[in-house]
Amino acid sequence: MIKLENVTYTYMEGGPFEKTAVHNIDLTIPDGQFIGLMGHTGSGKSTVIQLMNGLLKPTDGKITVDGSELWAKDTKMRDIRFKVGLVMQYPEYQIFEETVEKEIAYGPSNIGLSEEEIKDRVAKAAELVGISKELLSKSPFELSGGQKRRVAIAGIIAMEPKTLILDEPTAGLDPKGRDEILYKIKDLQKRMNITVIFVSHSMEDIASMADRIIVMNKGRVAMEGTPDEIFVRSDELINMGLDIPEVSKICNELIEKGYPLKKGIYKVSEAVEEIRKLKEKR
Amino acid sequence: MVSDIILGQYFPGASFIHRLDPRSKILMIIAYIAAIFIINNLFGYIVLGAFLLISIMNTKIPAKFMLRGLKPVMFFIVLTGAFNLFLTTTGKVYWHWSFLTVTDEGINNAVFMILRLFFLIMGTSLLTLTTSPIMLTDGIERLLSPFGKIGIPHHEIAMMMSIALRFIPTLLEETDKIIKAQTARGADFESGNILRRVKAMVPILIPLFISAFRRADELATAMECRCYKGGKGRTRLKVLKMGAIDLFGWIFIVVLFAGIIACNIFIV
Ligand SMILES: Nc1ncnc2c1ncn2[C@@H]1O[C@H](COP(=O)(O)OP(=O)(O)OP(=O)(O)O)[C@@H](O)[C@H]1O
Ligand SMILES: [Mg+2]
Repeated sequence: MIKLENVTYTYMEGGPFEKTAVHNIDLTIPDGQFIGLMGHTGSGKSTVIQLMNGLLKPTDGKITVDGSELWAKDTKMRDIRFKVGLVMQYPEYQIFEETVEKEIAYGPSNIGLSEEEIKDRVAKAAELVGISKELLSKSPFELSGGQKRRVAIAGIIAMEPKTLILDEPTAGLDPKGRDEILYKIKDLQKRMNITVIFVSHSMEDIASMADRIIVMNKGRVAMEGTPDEIFVRSDELINMGLDIPEVSKICNELIEKGYPLKKGIYKVSEAVEEIRKLKEKR
Repeated sequence: MVSDIILGQYFPGASFIHRLDPRSKILMIIAYIAAIFIINNLFGYIVLGAFLLISIMNTKIPAKFMLRGLKPVMFFIVLTGAFNLFLTTTGKVYWHWSFLTVTDEGINNAVFMILRLFFLIMGTSLLTLTTSPIMLTDGIERLLSPFGKIGIPHHEIAMMMSIALRFIPTLLEETDKIIKAQTARGADFESGNILRRVKAMVPILIPLFISAFRRADELATAMECRCYKGGKGRTRLKVLKMGAIDLFGWIFIVVLFAGIIACNIFIV
């Protein structure tokens, strides 16, 4: 469980371009859930998740991971980072190894695992993100942008963290590849019972995957709840400059035209069901 | 950490020093550096210190911010001081142990070296903090233009400098991101012997080099797309003009020199 209490973070404190990216946030991330984190560009999403695994030190406030306080004297920050795995935004720029296999193995080997264990984990992680066996011995710099992204994601998954945080992992991937990775991550989360925090701009992705949604706006948590609770408030989402799923838009328009549909529909199947009911009533 | 490096950063403002013509400012900094080196006693440094303090106060840059610029070079300052302090063997000996000696001359040299470095860094930071990179290179280009006649590519030199300056913050930001990404993967930069620490830098340096080359490549393409072809015949949007304000600036510099020379001659 990750807990943020009254956390504030200011970039370049004291400088001319000082910028408080996160204001007084209180947040609890329970274990075993798939959490969607959304918000407008610059709302502080990347900052919050970097605070969660101790890449940034809060200007103010307290962060605990499974009860141990980050930045306390006797907390080993490296262990925290093995527990809370973070795939940064555009992770393909962190690639440095000679082969894809070594690249994915970098994280696990930092944990200090045995050779066999590392090999096993690399193979599993590569398969999960859709990197085929032939690619493992290739140079990662020969891969396409999307493939590099997958390798970088695999590099964190192979560390088998208890909490996996992904910062817009699907930005710039083709729709098919995107769905594939999302589905695999969701599957991993259920199978291994880990926590996933998924940062995304895409409502469709979040709506279909998340157990819980956190919406950030201007460095603060604007909304928090289940998808049902969040998408009922579609007006507020739109006011914050966010998009809502296409189905929700259609349903909202139908409601506006006077059809007595339920509010806050965000799944295609649900919409079909509701519209069919409406038709039968007539 | 990385954000402590203030070199190449611009601190916007509208103070007297901000508004000086960049050519004046560059020449003034050269004069200031000359002053640092002709001073031969502590009183001269007090005069120079007062001058620096007034200048910093004028720019409205917080002193804390200025001093932060010293942090990354602290190591060199301390090292230089220590070398001078312990390795000078001439003069009256106060303390001696194996190859280390402390003498009055050594103390003197150490204090002077530290002061000189301090004033150098503060002064040059003040130049880059109060002059936007564009103005700075414009100034350099104009100052170098007489050399153009003897075949020195002054425009290209200025362009290279402005690109280098422009990319210092970008590359620092990039370094920060890469360090974070590798830290998240459990990289350990702090423990182990020297060899291990150097090896730990590889995952940072390789992505950094790749990104620097990629950026250079992209920039070259972008410049070519806009038909950039060097200095000849280029006109500019803002033409530099010296004014009364520069005259005032130079009066200050002359006063500074008079003070320092007076200190040198009259106080021994
Ligand atoms: N390294 C930095 N230095 C200074 N300011 C920063 C830095 N990183 C982010 N910021 C500022 O902090 C605020 C929040 O940034 P953050 O990256 O957390 O946003 P985000 O929600 O992840 O946005 P995006 O969706 O575009 O990735 C922004 O206003 C940004 O300008
Ligand atoms: Mg972000």
